Amino acid sequence: MSAGAILDLSQDPRQSDRTVDVLVIGSGCAGATAARALARAGREVLVLEEGGDFTGEKLTQRDGRMYDQLYMDRSGRMTSDLSMSVLQGRVLGGSAVINASDVVPVSDELLRFWQKKYGLTDYGPEQLEPYRQRALADLRSSRIGDDQINRANRLLMEGAAKVGAKGEVMLNNRVGCRGLGTCLIGCPIGAKQNPRWVAIPEAVEAGATFLCRARAVRIEDGGAELKRVAVRVLDADGYHEVDGFTVKARVVILAANAIGSTHLALRSGLGNAHVGSNLSLQPQLGVVARFKEEVIPYRGIPQAFAVTEGERFDDERGLWGYRIEAIMGTPGIISALLPRVGPDVMTAMAAYNRIAASLVLVPDEPSGTVGVTKGGRVRIDYQHKDNHKERLREGAKLAARCYLAAGAYEVEIPTNHPVYVRSERDLAMIDAIPFDPCSAPLMSAHQQGGLRMAASEKDGACAPNGLLYGTRDVYCFDSGLYPSSSSSHTQAPILSTAHYLVERLLAKS
Amino acid sequence: MDAFAFLRRRTFLKLGVAGLAGLGVAGGGLVALRGSALAVGGLGVLDAHRFRTLLAIAEAQLPVEGAGAGAVCDRLARLFDGFLQGEHEENVGDLKTALLLVEYGPVIFERRLTTFSNLVPDQRRRHWRGWMESELAVRRQVSLAFRKFFHAVFFDDPAVWPQIGYPGPSLWGMPKEGATP
Repeated sequence: MSAGAILDLSQDPRQSDRTVDVLVIGSGCAGATAARALARAGREVLVLEEGGDFTGEKLTQRDGRMYDQLYMDRSGRMTSDLSMSVLQGRVLGGSAVINASDVVPVSDELLRFWQKKYGLTDYGPEQLEPYRQRALADLRSSRIGDDQINRANRLLMEGAAKVGAKGEVMLNNRVGCRGLGTCLIGCPIGAKQNPRWVAIPEAVEAGATFLCRARAVRIEDGGAELKRVAVRVLDADGYHEVDGFTVKARVVILAANAIGSTHLALRSGLGNAHVGSNLSLQPQLGVVARFKEEVIPYRGIPQAFAVTEGERFDDERGLWGYRIEAIMGTPGIISALLPRVGPDVMTAMAAYNRIAASLVLVPDEPSGTVGVTKGGRVRIDYQHKDNHKERLREGAKLAARCYLAAGAYEVEIPTNHPVYVRSERDLAMIDAIPFDPCSAPLMSAHQQGGLRMAASEKDGACAPNGLLYGTRDVYCFDSGLYPSSSSSHTQAPILSTAHYLVERLLAKS
Repeated sequence: MDAFAFLRRRTFLKLGVAGLAGLGVAGGGLVALRGSALAVGGLGVLDAHRFRTLLAIAEAQLPVEGAGAGAVCDRLARLFDGFLQGEHEENVGDLKTALLLVEYGPVIFERRLTTFSNLVPDQRRRHWRGWMESELAVRRQVSLAFRKFFHAVFFDDPAVWPQIGYPGPSLWGMPKEGATP
């Protein structure tokens, strides 16, 4: 077996058409995991990645270039009404390169819920357990050490303890972390054990080839043994198509994120009427606390502690409630979060060293859709349900209480008319936040659904083995399959299901 | 940067017609209100009028005042124009619509016979704040989209960091050896 390669097509845009056994579209947790297993099994595997390969010094820890290069649509992707920023990686290794390195495996309870509500009988805890273990092994998962918890996280932790709210130090996938603090724009020392440093090198060693700056634009299935996939080669920055070629493959695996995979299926006219529906975005609301003392929140692990008091499981809807997690960003992101104009921007940012921030995360009911604009672009529509808003308010109130208990002199909910909480008496103001479209800093980092799996074609877009109904050997292996929120962080679930699905595919063939 | 896609729903048209009808202004009157814009060299996508609006937004949004403010805003607005060169034509069209909407914002939303670029700085900033705080989603959307862009690039400038006490990325000045596993 000869080794594969990682190639940047922007450096060599004139490519010949080619035929492979398996074409994988997307190089993140799902795509890299599938590519590794298939290459090890002797299949000729080609992986397409729209983004570039960013490692070491190419990860500059700077806002402008990194948000431009590592995120889809220069990090400007949003729901159609601009209510929610949709964060999605566009880089070799996928969103795991730009996540906060949290490991929250899919729970037994959730898997049983999927079995019962969606008829996914193959997804029991016992069946998935070996694959959950493989995922944890890939991630080199471990609990964040006490000495790695920075001041911002510790303030949330102390506050939670004082108000009697349950919480936990999170599992993570860092090895050799030096607390650089810029996880959301990549780790220049490669401490994150993500696909770029685990599955991709192993897949290459087994013979898989990864093509960067290669965008799949259309899949022609037609029931034929060989599917034709039109590929565009992008320039070095990834924003201009400079050439193109065709890949023929016996098997095509969609692994380009719930939104990317769904969009490609829609553009290609593949699948049934369920394609594009049942999208979960898992809204997250930013909360900012100000302290008199220095916090220096941008150094150390940004997301180490979660308040889990509000988390619960709903027999009808699955993962429910809310969760509060510390977070921090570089100056550009934090300032954009704060609704200010002119000199007020600098007044707010003058406290940059003395803030602690967190996100209230709400597992949602699938209430969004992925569509295609007339020009072929992604369109994401999302219905922000009242129960989402209510849980965001509850989470924001608990976050504010925690920070006040930890000594914050002010907690801001940065809506377009900011709400300032300076004492427990002010908490009632949070109840009045309407969460009208585009009035609050909401974001989505864990998109799921769009290609929901179901036991029957009547109920979903994909079969439980990932096969896109109505196609011959076009599969989805990523979070697009999930019928509801799988976890508060999708990295570990995606790895688990990708391990499971690729093994099933290999067993079939 | 599909951040202006919401404008595809003819929002501008609807708002514009309502605003202008209220003032009895149309056609040539609009052009006269806007006035002329100085020629600007080196632009890739925007014309001089739209660039002037973009520059005025930067001046209103960013915390810059005094002698160097113009140069900072000009640099960031040109950066924005540069980004547009790599953008899908749908997105560029939406952005141009957004700029037009902002330019005629004082006419449409405040029934004033002047345009955004022609407001004096204090008035312009007040008017621009009105976009952020507006009851109309479309105005909040435009405000947010420009704020995200301008803040991301403004605060990426090392010259700004001392003003907020940020020492810069943690690896700056550290030995490069061993930086990659």
